[in-house]
Amino acid sequence: MSRISIFYFLLFLSGTSVIAQNLSLPVLEKWSCNTAFLMPAGKWESGIFQPLRYGLNKKLEIHSNAILLPLIPDAGIKIALGSRGGFVFTSDHVLSSPTIFLKLVSRKGIGGLISPEFDFPLIISISNSIIVSKPVGSGSLLTGYIGFLFAIRGYKPNPQSTIDLPLVYQRMAHFYEGMTIRSGISYKGAFSKKFFYEEGLQSFIITRSKNNFFIENSGNLMWAAGRVVRLKGGYILSYGKYPFGTHWQLWPSIDLVFGSRI
Amino acid sequence: MKSGFVSKTVLFILLIPVTFFIFHSCEMPATGFDDVEDAIFYSKDQKADVSQPDSTIRIMTWNIRFGIGRGPWSIDACGNRVTFTEAEILEGLKNIVDRINLVKPDVLLLQEVHINSTCSAYVDELRWILDHSYFNYAIYGSSWKSQYVPSDGLGRNHECNAILSRWPITEAKRIQLVLRMDQGSLVRYFDNRYCIVKAKIAIPDFESFYAVNIHTVAWATDDTKKKQLEKFKDVLDDIAQTGNRFVAGGDLNAIPPGSDSTDFCIEDMCPDESFHHPGDNPQHKAGSDYTPESDWMVPLYTSYKCAVPLSIYQSDQQAYFTHTTRPTHFWDRTLDYLFTNYRWRDGSVITHQEFLYDSDHAPVSAEFVLERK
Repeated sequence: MSRISIFYFLLFLSGTSVIAQNLSLPVLEKWSCNTAFLMPAGKWESGIFQPLRYGLNKKLEIHSNAILLPLIPDAGIKIALGSRGGFVFTSDHVLSSPTIFLKLVSRKGIGGLISPEFDFPLIISISNSIIVSKPVGSGSLLTGYIGFLFAIRGYKPNPQSTIDLPLVYQRMAHFYEGMTIRSGISYKGAFSKKFFYEEGLQSFIITRSKNNFFIENSGNLMWAAGRVVRLKGGYILSYGKYPFGTHWQLWPSIDLVFGSRI
Repeated sequence: MKSGFVSKTVLFILLIPVTFFIFHSCEMPATGFDDVEDAIFYSKDQKADVSQPDSTIRIMTWNIRFGIGRGPWSIDACGNRVTFTEAEILEGLKNIVDRINLVKPDVLLLQEVHINSTCSAYVDELRWILDHSYFNYAIYGSSWKSQYVPSDGLGRNHECNAILSRWPITEAKRIQLVLRMDQGSLVRYFDNRYCIVKAKIAIPDFESFYAVNIHTVAWATDDTKKKQLEKFKDVLDDIAQTGNRFVAGGDLNAIPPGSDSTDFCIEDMCPDESFHHPGDNPQHKAGSDYTPESDWMVPLYTSYKCAVPLSIYQSDQQAYFTHTTRPTHFWDRTLDYLFTNYRWRDGSVITHQEFLYDSDHAPVSAEFVLERK
């Protein structure tokens, strides 16, 4: 673990070139999602799980999860803030509302993730974050981010109406109580022109007295099957303090990404 | 050279989750079990004093309905609630322990005890009962363990059969019962996996004996329950054939042979349901019509001694009823039993019907005659 810490620290210190908001790195051509780099103007990409992203211009990108839109309406905007010393800065802002989804899954019978005895107010979730990326060498990219999520709601939902599943619980925590401070770091690189990898670590700190800390480690491999289709697969390892106790969980992750030719 | 260092570093990072995965087995969505596996032990650091029995000990069986008393649980009582608060669960457990302290059984068989479930506010009920009673030892076998049941808002569910004892428990095993085949495979994967829990109790100066606890399926529409009762008898036969004694019981979800009333569809019917009328589908409510099951308990009565002998039950059935689904009604059928292959003290059996609101089942207790060494 100390070797990794020293490695990342040295990378952050190095800043020998100024990198503009362009896709000169092969990994960025295929995998700019979750980095400070935007989609090029007029280009789009989407995944089954990854949000639909569209580049408006050099400074603005809009995104939304198209598949979940009917259940969890959301809209996000990514704003390029410029670059300095090799570091590229972006801010990301998302508005979403989980109320339709929560009401749909609080039901009797199969699909009832929440007891039907609970009701939910209109909940608006707001997320703001700063993303910083820095190319490493000629083929890799290091990204760090920090942000906060909070909710505007009519009343606090019943704390027993949470979906106590790893990955889900921490992303819903701010609907109930407190604010979530989310931060992380990821490293993307390329094995070849068509094979890429990513390793990431992120944490959720909820501003409340219990069930307030979660950490996730993810690793993915991506294969650029064609110019517009990419297959991604990997794992997510999570740890956190849930209402039922502390818990480790390892889940697979998979996605199909497609979009404009770049 | 730099890219090689980077690649090695990335691979090193990838080893972290692999290592954690090896050492921390991640929980599957629903836990399956071996046919026979070790039960889980609980004990107390500060043991209560145990007086030496004279010649008998009291055995009790009780389905405690996870401490919600006669609460309007939507799953089994046409109710509108699925989850209960910690305060409600602890109050229910306190009532149960108060009743246990009245009866003072020496060995206690419990069913529907929750260990870490969403609907019971994640209270470890077995630990709570053990810590707030005079029992020194407990074991359990999980009958339902799902990380998340995606139905009815049940969420995380961990339910068990448990055996509590004043004296040390050894050779504790969980024995899997056959799963329901009248369900789809996805439902069956997340649903209850009924089991038998068996353990040996050793009392100084007396021959040890086995305690066997069962909870069979309630709502199967095929012969799953019959197979589970047959397995129960097989387990008891194995103990008897090795020359050992046992006390066995639990919630068998079956009524005694010769019961006057065998069809409870109308009694158990929810307001939005209809049964027995032409065009009703199904004609009978799942788990409420015992008519096709009238002789399923015969092998057990024939082979072993029920604490309530069949002739006694048939002479005054209502006095031995132990269950109802209706929250405000008196008991209307017998589903709970105690058996032995040795001896009950005559006249010692009690069906505790006065414990009317502490569960949807009344406990049954009786004095088991010990065999001196």
